[in-house]
Parts: sequence; structure tokens; C-alpha cells
Amino acid sequence: MASRGESPSGFRKETVNKILRLHFKDDKTRVSSDALLLMTEMLKVFVREAAARGARQAQAEDLDRVDIEHVEKMLPQLLLDF
Amino acid sequence: MEPAGEQEGERFSHTQRLKAAVHYTVGCLCQEVAEDKGIQFSKQTIAAISEITFRQCENFAKDLEMFARHGKRTVINSEDVKLLARRSNSLLRYITQKSEELALNNLEQKEKKKKKSSTAKGRTTSAEQVAAAMTESEDSNVV
Repeated sequence: MASRGESPSGFRKETVNKILRLHFKDDKTRVSSDALLLMTEMLKVFVREAAARGARQAQAEDLDRVDIEHVEKMLPQLLLDF
Repeated sequence: MEPAGEQEGERFSHTQRLKAAVHYTVGCLCQEVAEDKGIQFSKQTIAAISEITFRQCENFAKDLEMFARHGKRTVINSEDVKLLARRSNSLLRYITQKSEELALNNLEQKEKKKKKSSTAKGRTTSAEQVAAAMTESEDSNVV
């Protein structure tokens, strides 16, 4: 499958579909093609947001390397926003 | 007992493969952010974000399934995803915009297909003509 969109990296539709199906309780549940594309977009935003917030936390501490403690600090708010 | 164990092992490796795929993509996305902001990400950070993302998918999947079931559907559609993005205004705006773009794209593609079938009609064989006529009549039925 060709990569699409303006950003070079992102999740593949097939991967997202498989991950979602892993957690469905009903085997009959399916995801429409449009919804799947929106989910790849949503997950991309989630990851970029996590990375950006971690970066901001590290920069607030005047460091140029994001470490696990920065992730720990921004995690609660991140999960409240998604 | 033997096949059950094998099956479990298979499911385990399936999950591991999906986790690895998520880890790879998170690595790429973090690299982009790193270049943007002029900062580095430790390996543990990338691993942690991957794990968080993978687990967040479980919440997403369960919510989406519930939304669809609430609408008495078994297929999850874009409206369900919009509902998933309800917690943040800017995220909702972004997803709504993407969804509209998608809908527009789909419409354009449909029209292109229609045009193609009508321009190709001039030099098609009789079988293809019949097929084109059939799709046309189908279209007119819909309208």
C-alpha cells in the first residue's frame, strides 16, 4: 500500500484495523473504510501530542532529551484529553 | 491441551507483531517531532509512548463498538469516530474537518467514475455497453 497524505509517516489502515479488532467483544463488529482512515489520523494526533507534550516538559526543565519522567508528568492530562 | 497452548501462543505473537508495528510508527512520528523541536527522545520514552498508544487503542475500540451498538449498527462509521474525539474541542474540529474532506473526496471519485463510463461508451463492445447502460439505469434509480 502506498503511503498517503502530507506526512511521510503514520499508521497503516490494516494495522489499526487489526488492533481495533483485537478488542472488540463482538466478532461481527466491523470498521468502515472512512472511519478507519479517521482512526489512523486520530492515533497520529495522539502520538504527536504525547511526543510534543513530553518535549515541552523536558524543555521546561531545560533539558534537550525527553526521558521517561517527562512522559510520566504529562500522561494524566494527555489521557484526560483523549 | 497442546492445541490450546499453541493457539494462545499464536495470539500472543499476533499481539506482539501489532505492538512492534505501533512501536515502529511511534518511532517515526517521534523522530519528526524531534526534528521540529530540536530535542531528542530516549528509547524508553518511545517505548513508553508506544505502550500507552497500544493500550489507549483498547479504550478506543471498546468505545467505538459501544457507539455503533447504541446506533443499532455493527459497522463503525465516521460519526462514531467523531464522538470518540468529543473530549477536546480542537481534536473534534480537526477530525470533523478530515471527515468532511473524506466525504468530498468520495463524492469526487464517484463523479469521476461516472464520467469515465460515459466517455468510454463510444468505442466499447456491446457487452460493455450493456454493462454501462445497466449501471446508468441503476444510478437513475437511485436518483
